[in-house]
Amino acid sequence: MRRRRVRVAYWLLIPGLVWLILFYVIPTVSMLSISLQEGSPERGFEFTWNLGIYPEVLARNSVQLLRSGLYGLIVTIATMLIAYPLAYTIAFRGGRWKNVLLFMVILPFFVSFIIRTLEWKFLLGDEGIVLGTLKDWGVLGPGYYLLGRPIAVLGGLIYNFLPFMALPLYVALEKIDRSLLDAANDLYSSRASAFWRVTFRLSLPGVFAGSLLTFIPAVGDFINAEFLGGPDTTMIGNVIQLEYLTNNDYPEAAALSFVLMAGILLAVTLYARILGTEELTG
Amino acid sequence: MGEGSLDGMLGFDRRISRRELLRRAGRGSIYMGVMAFLAACGVEAQRREGGGQLQPLPPKAGELVMANWPLYIDKDGPVSPTVESFEKENDVEMQYDVVINDNEEFFGTIRAPLSAGQASGYDIIVVTDWLIDKMNRFGYLERIHHEELPNFEANVSDKFRDPWFDPNNEHSIPWAAGITGIGYDISLTGRELDSIFDLFDTEFAGRVGMFAEMRDTFNFALLANGADPTQATIEEVQAAQQLLLEHRGNFRGFYGNDYADQLATGSLAVSMAWSGDIFALQLDNPNLRFFIPKEGANRWSDNMAIPVGAEHPTDAHLFMNHVYDPRIATNITEWVWYESPVQGVQEMIQEDIAEGGPRYLQLLADSELVFPTEETNAQTHPYKRLEEEEEQAWNDLFQEVIQA
Amino acid sequence: MSADVAVAERPIEARAAPPPKVARRRRGWFLPVYTGVVVAYLFLPIGVMILFGFNDLQGPRGFNVTWEGFTLRHYSNVFDFPDLTSALKNSLLIAAASTIVATALGTMIALALTRHRFRGRGGTNMFIFLPMATPEVVLGASLLSLFVSMSVARGFVTILIAHIMFNISYVVVTVKARTQGFNAEWEEAAKDLGATPWTAFWTVTFPLISPGILAAAVLAFALSVDDYVITLFNAGSTLTFPLWVAGASRFGVPPEVNVMGTILFFAGVILAVASVLFQRGRYRDAPQEIGPPVAGTGFAG
Repeated sequence: MRRRRVRVAYWLLIPGLVWLILFYVIPTVSMLSISLQEGSPERGFEFTWNLGIYPEVLARNSVQLLRSGLYGLIVTIATMLIAYPLAYTIAFRGGRWKNVLLFMVILPFFVSFIIRTLEWKFLLGDEGIVLGTLKDWGVLGPGYYLLGRPIAVLGGLIYNFLPFMALPLYVALEKIDRSLLDAANDLYSSRASAFWRVTFRLSLPGVFAGSLLTFIPAVGDFINAEFLGGPDTTMIGNVIQLEYLTNNDYPEAAALSFVLMAGILLAVTLYARILGTEELTG
Repeated sequence: MGEGSLDGMLGFDRRISRRELLRRAGRGSIYMGVMAFLAACGVEAQRREGGGQLQPLPPKAGELVMANWPLYIDKDGPVSPTVESFEKENDVEMQYDVVINDNEEFFGTIRAPLSAGQASGYDIIVVTDWLIDKMNRFGYLERIHHEELPNFEANVSDKFRDPWFDPNNEHSIPWAAGITGIGYDISLTGRELDSIFDLFDTEFAGRVGMFAEMRDTFNFALLANGADPTQATIEEVQAAQQLLLEHRGNFRGFYGNDYADQLATGSLAVSMAWSGDIFALQLDNPNLRFFIPKEGANRWSDNMAIPVGAEHPTDAHLFMNHVYDPRIATNITEWVWYESPVQGVQEMIQEDIAEGGPRYLQLLADSELVFPTEETNAQTHPYKRLEEEEEQAWNDLFQEVIQA
Repeated sequence: MSADVAVAERPIEARAAPPPKVARRRRGWFLPVYTGVVVAYLFLPIGVMILFGFNDLQGPRGFNVTWEGFTLRHYSNVFDFPDLTSALKNSLLIAAASTIVATALGTMIALALTRHRFRGRGGTNMFIFLPMATPEVVLGASLLSLFVSMSVARGFVTILIAHIMFNISYVVVTVKARTQGFNAEWEEAAKDLGATPWTAFWTVTFPLISPGILAAAVLAFALSVDDYVITLFNAGSTLTFPLWVAGASRFGVPPEVNVMGTILFFAGVILAVASVLFQRGRYRDAPQEIGPPVAGTGFAG
């Protein structure tokens, strides 16, 4: 019986995993190999087990790595704070309009991110609709600007990752059984206590999923920094772009990518431990 | 569980023990790992041999795929008259893709197939002069059959013959040329500017734009230090880097194409700029000015080339010839506002003005940026030809400036 | 079952009195208003996009950065841009196909990870996060190298393959949020009542997890339509909508891009409305609540 169930598991896993092995693992393994090579496009690359590149890359780009981690953390927390009440309202108060509201949260993301980010650039322009008006009213000094500052990049990241946080939160919240809350009420729990001890606890899988879907891509993002950022907002994604496309330093770009991935996995593992685990990682 | 089981239904009656499955998976993944490893191991030098020889031209295919920068060809609403006239006159179906936004980014996407001996997907690409030089070093460009380009031979300005990056135009012919100078909004600066050091003026702190393009920005810094960009030594470049690092706090950012709308909307007061862009923006905002700094500026050209292994080279030559017709070249210039390599364009514009063209044509015909004089030319410098090692050294230095 | 009976027969007076009506109404306005504000924030750049599709540009090239008047002319010729229409078609087809495949594959993986115990489960869980964590430029470029070494021509198919690849992870994570702590008792109950495992799955389990699957599909679709870097490397000379937009948006976003974005957006609105109507019809006859004795498996229609 047990063996049969395990077999089912394997058959469920195989199609997706095979796809990933073919089109993710193989390219990634070749990336790993490249990171240990030395040379240049013209002279050719040679596999030299150059493990020294990893500490080198860490040292050289520690600022950008830390900054990306920090931005990722800020964005995850901010989107969580913004999206949780939103998901809660839709799940618990949405009623017949649940799906409509949910779609409304997702809909802006059917418009290409390039358009969305460019429109934000327009909105945040020094003399644009927002800042220009505030300057006219005297609220802001004439030299004030947002574009090029970290706040603009963070704002862009938060905006772009909001649905990544909201969706899993909604999915987890929506499945919570209302009668449990009634039960808590019957046991004379306050609303706040009922929320924390019942609702929030039960929504933790959604919190976990949303955090992952937000933190992981946000740390590696380069688009927001490129469009909305300035010289001091460089994220690790921008560095990798530059190393790969401009410097043609493929080993460095590959090594940096692995450092990034390792850092993310580490953070995710720690997070899973803190949140209490096994249940959450399945 | 119930009577049947899910895997029974999936047709799985033959038992595969878990151990067996794992063993097979293990063997399989080792095999794949080795394959991948071998595939990746020892990537050879990416040079290709094909680029050196003149390949015979196949018969006309009736198809053409071209990649170009945005806003670089005439437009009448959704379509380009030049493309349409070419298609009609030559009975060729042409796909004109505006996919090049950055030299390095575009090169990065076609490199892998080119180095493996495969076609890139494009018959004509338009890239900046230094990239032509670089691609030549790798042998990634086909030799051009000049006998198929009578219009080029007859009409190209001497200035563009036999350039520094492609002796005898063996692998490329120019599409358009321009100048990198400085643009500014006089209503924001309050005065006229004339020097590269105006970019470092703290009066404009936080409102200055520089280019993320290494060659353009380093050239400016070299010129500011009084060095000759085409002969710059590594020490001079290091000094240029120091100059940029010193004034880094003044810059709002290092831009690509997007400096222009920042200048137009007032986020930037002063910026490094390309001649044609400012000309275009001036039509909407007469406060914008462009100048060549007294220390000097950069001149560059964007060139048509045929990547190795292109599928329709004959049709490519037909198009290249087509755009060297002075009438077609004039149509393009009247729309693109960058310098044309074709002789006689300035005169044709005058004719169009006489026949009652739009107002801006007069500005165009008089513009020293679109039709530089000898004097203007003398003030501008091309890029230095960089071999791989030098390019890497310069790139490393530049990275420290733009990514902190 | 006895638990159900207990619930049904509990006298109503034993339950705590609900809070007074006034208090509840006062507490009630904040969240809906908050939701409205957030949705407005989400729509702000969209609003700008829609507005600037009507911008009556005067200059010969017309940079779409300042408002110059209202016009409908951009709507009349938007489909005349040859590349734009084919790019849009490509994007939608690829998104639809990759969504279907990735959602299927990803859901299967999510089910395996949460319903079954097997060796390597922890490892697979960790592995699934990796594609999301890998920087796009390197992933796109290595995938291109793979295709090149297999001499596969780059185009529609390679874009599709790449999109399915990165979508699987997102689907798995999203569906897992729903199937987490999944209790097989309901399915067992159905089988006890004579259903085959297949029927039990489709009539009991699937409806329970379908919000998660739908959410994952929507996410996958949006990710595919929007993908730029990986597509850039693996597209050959095929154009998708983001590739086209990137090429066209040098000086601000040109009106035809705004118009096309607006059309896409309203297509999504229509889809949303249609799906709501469909859902209403489907669940009209289903009970609103089954009082389950086990936490976390509530059927909330």
